Amino acid sequence: MMVARVDGVIVSTVCHPSMAGHRTIICQPLDEHGREEGAPFLAVDPHAAGRHQRVLVSTDGSHTRAHVGDPRSPLRNLILGVIDEEDARAGR
Amino acid sequence: MRLGHVIGRVTLSRQDPAYQGGRFLLVQPFGRDQYRGAGMTPLALGNSLVVYDQLGAGVGHVVGFTEGAEATAPFPEPTPVDAYCAAIVDEIFYQPPA
Repeated sequence: MMVARVDGVIVSTVCHPSMAGHRTIICQPLDEHGREEGAPFLAVDPHAAGRHQRVLVSTDGSHTRAHVGDPRSPLRNLILGVIDEEDARAGR
Repeated sequence: MRLGHVIGRVTLSRQDPAYQGGRFLLVQPFGRDQYRGAGMTPLALGNSLVVYDQLGAGVGHVVGFTEGAEATAPFPEPTPVDAYCAAIVDEIFYQPPA
């Protein structure tokens, strides 16, 4: 699991059937000091996280396949929850 | 899943039967600069990779691809695939903090 910031969304019409109906967001991974670390990646977001909110991201593919209800889904990254902004800053 | 530009195709005259129904694309993964504008120039630095595609993406498209164990998940039989094209991207709304 890792901490990331929501930096955008993508729209795709032609996609794997398991992605249909699921919001796919662009996540910027952050290091322990809240700084950007590495290139952005995509994740399925069932929690409707807002722009620039911090989120907890799972890279457990089997859980994501269960979440979308398709054992043949190629998806891996799933938003587990939205991080409380105050708590995240208290750790700096 | 990551985003990348389709920059070419790979064609095989002989191939494993498991690959029937798809094609191989040469994809250049996005860096942070490519998210800001979907244009092909400049391309991101770093290595390109070959992505298996069943959706019909072509050169110039932006695709979302998965790597690792998830890339083989869509196949009914165990298939050696490192990267799988999961989406052809229509729009990217990217707004990092200023």
